[in-house]
Amino acid sequence: MTNESVMIALITRLRTTSALDDEDVQAIRSLPIVVKHYQQGQLIVRDGGRPAECCLISQGFCVRSKTTSNGRRQILSIHIPGEIPDLQSLHLHVLDHDLVALTDCTLGFISHVSLREITRRRPNLAEIFWRDTLIDAAMFRDWIVNVGQRPAPSRLAHIIVELRERLKVVGQVQGARFEMPLTQEQIGEAMGVTSVHANRIVKQLRDDNVLEFHRGSVRVIDEQKLLELADFDGLYLHQRPSL
Amino acid sequence: MPRFHFHIVEDGRVITDEEGQELTARDAVRREAVETGASVARDAFIRGSASRIIVDVRKGDEVFLKVSISLTVEG
Repeated sequence: MTNESVMIALITRLRTTSALDDEDVQAIRSLPIVVKHYQQGQLIVRDGGRPAECCLISQGFCVRSKTTSNGRRQILSIHIPGEIPDLQSLHLHVLDHDLVALTDCTLGFISHVSLREITRRRPNLAEIFWRDTLIDAAMFRDWIVNVGQRPAPSRLAHIIVELRERLKVVGQVQGARFEMPLTQEQIGEAMGVTSVHANRIVKQLRDDNVLEFHRGSVRVIDEQKLLELADFDGLYLHQRPSL
Repeated sequence: MPRFHFHIVEDGRVITDEEGQELTARDAVRREAVETGASVARDAFIRGSASRIIVDVRKGDEVFLKVSISLTVEG
């Protein structure tokens, strides 16, 4: 796999969300990158780890999660191709959560040294990466509201609509179907409910003809019902440079 | 590992758990059942869609344990 193909989703995404110019694109393409393959469930960076590189997802899905002292795991965010889920590690030196491969993944590792060099040389890129971590924080705020305030079926609908809106930017939504590789247990961990409760909600959404879950993907049956249930306003994703 | 099925009953409407879960300790089964009951009850009680939730846990065909949660509002 060439560096260029590893970078495609990142460049597509940043072109949509930020004011990335052609020279920025050239600079990103010139970044040295080490491509590695991770298997489903493999830990990429652990809570407390001190990475010397950032991880760009080229293919596959990752999650960030945190586990309490009595072993309960909360999934904090789901990450898709084109995202750098541990971009914060460039400035926050010890990771405060786990980064895990949700599916088999192709990841591109970019050293902190080269990221620091490129952001000093190109302030526009520094601003774009800064903006990216701010959007990351906006998504966490939304996730708090979701887990804290919405009933469980709305919570799942919201997570799914958000995932779809982000997948659209990198061209990974075909019609009504898109990838949603969380297992029942992981859906529970993302929503803060048990696996059994997650199963009940998945069933309810299917029986109410809102969504159909397949192994690793989801299909929207009733767009209007889904949006009503999800209580979704995508502003917090700031998917245009003007937002 | 034994497989447990957690059927949920909301005011008499049964939502069956076909998949089930593999759990070893009785404590883990109890915790999963109580937590599931509590979070299903929270949603149902707030929405007003049910006022009694039962989590009926089966090991194979036999009843393993039952958790029952009811809403009572007085006054």
